[in-house]
Amino acid sequence: MSSVLRATGLSKSFGGLVAVKDVSFEAAPGEIFAIIGPNGAGKTTLLNLISGLLTPTTGRLELLGTDVTAMPTYRRCRLGLGRAFQVVQPFPEMTVAENVLVGAQFGSEGVSSSEARRRADQALERTGLDRLRDQPVEDLNLLQEKRLEIARALATQPKVLLLDEVMAGLRPGEARQAVELVRGVRDEGITVVFIEHVMPVVRDLADRVLVMDHGAELARGTYAEVTSDPRVVEAYLGVEDDDSRAGEESADARSVREAPGDDAGATAGRDA
Amino acid sequence: MRGLTRDLVATAAFAVLLVFLPSVLREVFGRASVSYLSLATNALVLAVLALSWDMLARTGQLSLAHAAFTGAGAYTVAVLFKLTGAPLWLGIPLGGLVAAVLALGLGSVTLRLFGIYFAIATLAFTEVLKAAVQRLPTAVAGGAAGINVPALFRPTFVAGSMERWEVAFLRNQGYFWVYAGLLVVAVVISVLIQRSRLRAAFTAVRTNEQVAGVMGVNPARMKLLAFVLSSFVAGLLGAVEAHRLGSVSPDGAFSVHTTVLALVTPIFGGLYTTLGPILGATVLAGIEETLKRTFSEGYLIGYGIVLVASILFMPRGLVGLASKLVKRGGASTSGRVGGASGGAADAAAEERA
Ligand SMILES: Nc1ncnc2c1ncn2[C@@H]1O[C@H](COP(=O)(O)OP(=O)(O)OP(=O)(O)O)[C@@H](O)[C@H]1O
Ligand SMILES: [Mg+2]
Repeated sequence: MSSVLRATGLSKSFGGLVAVKDVSFEAAPGEIFAIIGPNGAGKTTLLNLISGLLTPTTGRLELLGTDVTAMPTYRRCRLGLGRAFQVVQPFPEMTVAENVLVGAQFGSEGVSSSEARRRADQALERTGLDRLRDQPVEDLNLLQEKRLEIARALATQPKVLLLDEVMAGLRPGEARQAVELVRGVRDEGITVVFIEHVMPVVRDLADRVLVMDHGAELARGTYAEVTSDPRVVEAYLGVEDDDSRAGEESADARSVREAPGDDAGATAGRDA
Repeated sequence: MRGLTRDLVATAAFAVLLVFLPSVLREVFGRASVSYLSLATNALVLAVLALSWDMLARTGQLSLAHAAFTGAGAYTVAVLFKLTGAPLWLGIPLGGLVAAVLALGLGSVTLRLFGIYFAIATLAFTEVLKAAVQRLPTAVAGGAAGINVPALFRPTFVAGSMERWEVAFLRNQGYFWVYAGLLVVAVVISVLIQRSRLRAAFTAVRTNEQVAGVMGVNPARMKLLAFVLSSFVAGLLGAVEAHRLGSVSPDGAFSVHTTVLALVTPIFGGLYTTLGPILGATVLAGIEETLKRTFSEGYLIGYGIVLVASILFMPRGLVGLASKLVKRGGASTSGRVGGASGGAADAAAEERA
């Protein structure tokens, strides 16, 4: 199997707005694949198409060699697709451990309850949440909530892990921990597809990068290739006439240009 | 599993208590035990109805169709004995099954409806079912006038060896035991849900269906399962009610009153728990009886005031209130300082109750 995730001509329109436009890509086993692009580029919508929360207007999606274009979300999960959300959404009435246990119990077919507990414990440990396991999720801070998102996804035993801006809002030290976590996950052979605005993180982690703009692919290649692509720099700078987002976007653009070789750049985070 | 065993043992103990309750009442109250027994019976009926509604609500489906399912159970029994000479005790399980099958149908149609839209659709279903029953041939469903239903118990008066009131007592006792049996069935189903991975799945579906799906929970399956279990219990209840009342009619069997009680009682007692609906039913049945005796006419106004006040002042119901009191007591005796970690841990503890 050459690709674990293959999107072919995926498009999604909301009424007149085309949020994702004819996007195709493949992620190879054990690859870390980044999706970047300005706000509203359609990155989260693309992940929603992949995890099944949205059905594509046109296009086709294969997961581990199976056509999953019309498959409901829970079956995609059981097939091996895990997802951490950009906007954290823990189940509010449960503790940290109970949240993770849902993924462990239902993320694969026929798991015994002791095996599920083992998987949940493992996910809690990896994400450094084991000491918070009996806390109600209301008590978590943003960093811990982001970790919980990842822990829940890991507990489903994914073969492909989708991460949506899990570094946003983290301090540099925290971001470094998260980077290590993602590396560790990949070293187990899990394919990681992640959306990120923090450019140094993209640089450090990504094997390949897909740049999206206005729903469509703008560029694709290694980090060095895409960041030296004039169209990419243009896309990040070119939104300055878009009054509402100008400030944020130019910060992103700066980090695009400054990132190579700039280690202090890990501070360039945004709030989710 | 230890928790499950403990709950089942508690249920068994509760069942034994219910078996002996009528005799105890009779010893203590003599002739007056007839009305105490019927009060206890009302509480049982309400508890079964409330627990049945709560099971469904655990998946976020706030139903206004409970009268449809008790009504379906009642009419199943009525039509069965009108048309056939089936064995007397066959109607009750059949009533449960018919209600469960109807729930499967309604549940599949309402899967994509949420909140108020779901509620309205289920209310409409009740009205449609009632209209359908009214329009069935009179020879089958009795039309607007309804159908008579055979009684389950016919104690006969034996002059000399018993007093008059004892006939009523024996009759009430029979139904009390049957309802107690239904409550045990409902409690066992509820406990099995709460002590298995279903509890987390139901809660996940209720609080965030999309995320539940992304984590491998099949929301449609969970919602339908809850619907079928809940309606099966409601159908059994309606069937027994038909026997006890001796007749069914469209207005009585599909009454909005049933639907309202089904949802008010668990809210009053404490949602998404096994104990809450049972506590709620016991207290509400007691309050209703007291108000009825005190005010006769217009007691419903007082009843309404009690309910509104309780919803305002105990948002988590009796169970929530009790756990808050227990916690406060525990804190003052052990000197533990109540931290900010209140909400969810409480809720989790209650949910296991
Ligand atoms: N459910 C929806 N209905 C209508 N429009 C939507 C919906 N979801 C997203 N959009 C629109 O689609 C476009 C792409 O949004 P999306 O959330 O995918 O962007 P993004 O690249 O993830 O942005 P960000 O970096 O801010 O997270 C936006 O214009 C957004 O308003
Ligand atoms: Mg996004």
